[in-house]
Amino acid sequence: MISLDPDQRTPAKPCRRTAKEYANGLMPKWCPGCGDFGVLNAIYKALSAIGRPPHEIAFVSGVGCSSRIPEYTRAYGFNSLHGRALPIAQGIKMARPDLLVLVAGGDGDGFSIGGGHISHAIRRNTDLTYLVIDNQVMGQTGGQASPTAKNGSGTPVNPVLYALAYGAQFVAQGVAGDPGGLATLIEEAIRFPGFAFINIQSPCAAFGDPLMKALAPRTKIRKLEAEGHNSSNRLMAIELAEAYGNILYTGVFYRNPNPTPTFGALTEKLRRKPAISDLEAPA
Amino acid sequence: MKGAVIGIAGFSQDGIAAVGDTLIGALALEGYFAILSTQCGDPVRGGEASCRIRFGTTPVLNSGGVLDLAVVLDWRNFSLSSGELTVGPETVVIQDRKPGSGALGLPPGGFRPAATISAPISEIATRSGGKSLAKDSVVLGLLASWFGLPKRRILAGISSRYRAKDKTALTANERAFSAGVEFADRHPLGQDLKIDPCPARGAGRRVADGNELCARAALFAGCKFFAAYPIAPAGGITHFLQREIWKHGGTFLAAEDEIAAAAAAVGASYAGAKSMTATSGPGFSLQTEVLGLASAVELPLVCVNVQRGGPATGMPTTQEQADLFAAVFSAHGDNVRPVLAPTSVADTFDVTVEAFNIAEHYQTPVIVLTDRDLALSKAVLEPINPSQLNIIDRLEPTKAELRKYARFQLTEAGISPLSHPGMRGGSYLAAGVEHDERGIPTTSGDVHARMTRKRLNKLNPLKARRDLFLFEGDPDAHIGLVSWGNVSGIVREAVRIARAKGIKVKLLVPRLLYPVAEVVYEDFFASLMRCVVVEQSHQGQLHRLLKMWTTTPREFMSVSKSGANRISPHEVVKLIQAMEKPATERFRTHYCDLLNVI
Repeated sequence: MISLDPDQRTPAKPCRRTAKEYANGLMPKWCPGCGDFGVLNAIYKALSAIGRPPHEIAFVSGVGCSSRIPEYTRAYGFNSLHGRALPIAQGIKMARPDLLVLVAGGDGDGFSIGGGHISHAIRRNTDLTYLVIDNQVMGQTGGQASPTAKNGSGTPVNPVLYALAYGAQFVAQGVAGDPGGLATLIEEAIRFPGFAFINIQSPCAAFGDPLMKALAPRTKIRKLEAEGHNSSNRLMAIELAEAYGNILYTGVFYRNPNPTPTFGALTEKLRRKPAISDLEAPA
Repeated sequence: MKGAVIGIAGFSQDGIAAVGDTLIGALALEGYFAILSTQCGDPVRGGEASCRIRFGTTPVLNSGGVLDLAVVLDWRNFSLSSGELTVGPETVVIQDRKPGSGALGLPPGGFRPAATISAPISEIATRSGGKSLAKDSVVLGLLASWFGLPKRRILAGISSRYRAKDKTALTANERAFSAGVEFADRHPLGQDLKIDPCPARGAGRRVADGNELCARAALFAGCKFFAAYPIAPAGGITHFLQREIWKHGGTFLAAEDEIAAAAAAVGASYAGAKSMTATSGPGFSLQTEVLGLASAVELPLVCVNVQRGGPATGMPTTQEQADLFAAVFSAHGDNVRPVLAPTSVADTFDVTVEAFNIAEHYQTPVIVLTDRDLALSKAVLEPINPSQLNIIDRLEPTKAELRKYARFQLTEAGISPLSHPGMRGGSYLAAGVEHDERGIPTTSGDVHARMTRKRLNKLNPLKARRDLFLFEGDPDAHIGLVSWGNVSGIVREAVRIARAKGIKVKLLVPRLLYPVAEVVYEDFFASLMRCVVVEQSHQGQLHRLLKMWTTTPREFMSVSKSGANRISPHEVVKLIQAMEKPATERFRTHYCDLLNVI
């Protein structure tokens, strides 16, 4: 495998760090009142709880308002192409399994232009954490309908149901308005061994859907845990996910109690065979 | 004879590829040089299949023109392959005599061979093999006898093919081979096709196709990540690497589409791994957005495009050199991506290693434009000398540099040290959006101009790389040719023939297609009155590209055939002869007539 920095042959031991250690001091370029500020703070908090040093984290995003998140962290950031964050992140994780790899982006980035990649990231079960910051609108370009927008089509994409249907083994939902609860979810997602998906309700301050704006305050959300949901019950999770757009559930919808092997674990044994010489003569 | 060209065509289940593979293996071990090109109309449903093998006692530059011997297993499928297998007045045709074939088994109109001989190939196969599936072994027997080829080595080839599978099948095929030899011994040909014995054995030679060499070169260069989506004719690269890359500590990703393949490769490169993706025209079109990203964030990436006929799905199993514009002008924006092309099957190895070196040194995506014929043709190759190949790794920041790290620092050469996740102090944002030296997104026009200049100027030293060009012929000749890719092998042979006839002519073959090395071309053009660019695309894409960037000779012409239409060395010799004559009318009409193109 690729050599680490000579002084860092093995990743540093995780230790409790402060949230500040993950912020790089740049002023985020978001509208006043944007939910992304809350999401960013939740990410700092979750990362401090995990405790990996920032230089061992690769944070990938696509294009859009929320895709700017990596720019404001001290991690290695990759603000890539619209919709291509997941394949790029998988390439990083496959080349360097020891890294902590996070992906963030909007619902347009994920479920519109990048929609084709989500099912494959789930099926490969690469150990990534994918945060979709869902605001039901194409915010950066001026408020066009996004795939989760209610006014955009007859049946908007239901991100939670989508991830569950494709077989994601960790599916959760959080809200920007509850950074504390969201931080706990992100931490759990990172600790989950395999592909983890969190849909984060973060209504757009400039163009947001009034109904979703009304649902998103902390007082309106319904916590799955408090509702008595058993997160190892996938069928129940699917039923609850159907409420997307009407009831805002937060918490873990589904966590596979017996996670299947990750891409990294499955491919590790392939490397044990002896190598042929590159220039070997024909037999 | 010093060498020969044999063509075989029939139904895809007739074992045509097996004949070719067995022959080239036996010839290589005996010390002959050879190029084998196989073709099938549709690899899935079955249909016509053909192969042509050219071999000789001296190195073979291309798969040749008119056939010396054609083996026709059935005329319908042979006719479908006639673009590949040219039958001329000197060709000896062997046709399978089977019940129910056309009147007297004669070839349909359009074929005027020297002799047409019927041999009961299917009948011998059924009689000795028990089933007609042993036709390939009968054909091998006939060829072994008529050409005087090494029977022992051919038998060894047949045996290695069946040994592990089925003892009965092996015995049947060995009997079929002997019966073929026996028939040919009893029916000698009018012409003597006996091949000269090989003077030397040539230790360490190997048989491989361009795809395999590309894949092996990637491993040799240190490629640790390869991602691809299935596509013809690039499949061979994937088949090799998906099996072998793991053993070299690397990873293979079967991506969901070509965009994801290229994107994952860029991700792996960001993480510090040398990485590659391989595709063909349709996939390459999709990958251009990722190529643009790799240029913007200055990450090394090797992208192989095995050209086939286009546009759209085009002709997936045929040859064309029409993706040069697509490669040169891939992706939007003010940018340059180096484009390399191998000049022979063997050269695919060196060019792929070079592509990694350029990608890593200049922190840029590099496009390798190989083509169907180079990728799928098998050739007998001299041993590769690894000590002659340099491996270059990316420039990493020193400890001191990491203390005050600016990823896109403006340096004199335009190349900035590149960190990767895991390096303390090296964190930066790789942003597809324009960014300053530290990687922070910007909307400043000044910064954009500076960074654009950095990304373009860093590639300038490439234009002085004379080692990325092959030169052949008389340096002070007044007539000259330029050619690239697989076609250059045909032109090289033609130039040698013309020079043997006393014509002063020279040839330039670029391995570096882009950026255009103006100085190298203008040095070459200096003595020329007349220059022709020979290539395989309707538009003559290299010809037009050179007109954009260089001061060309007074008469600068394009001779190009649209893909899938073979250019023969003989045609190019005729072209050179015409170029030598003073132009009584516009030269253009001469070459148009010669190659029957518009």
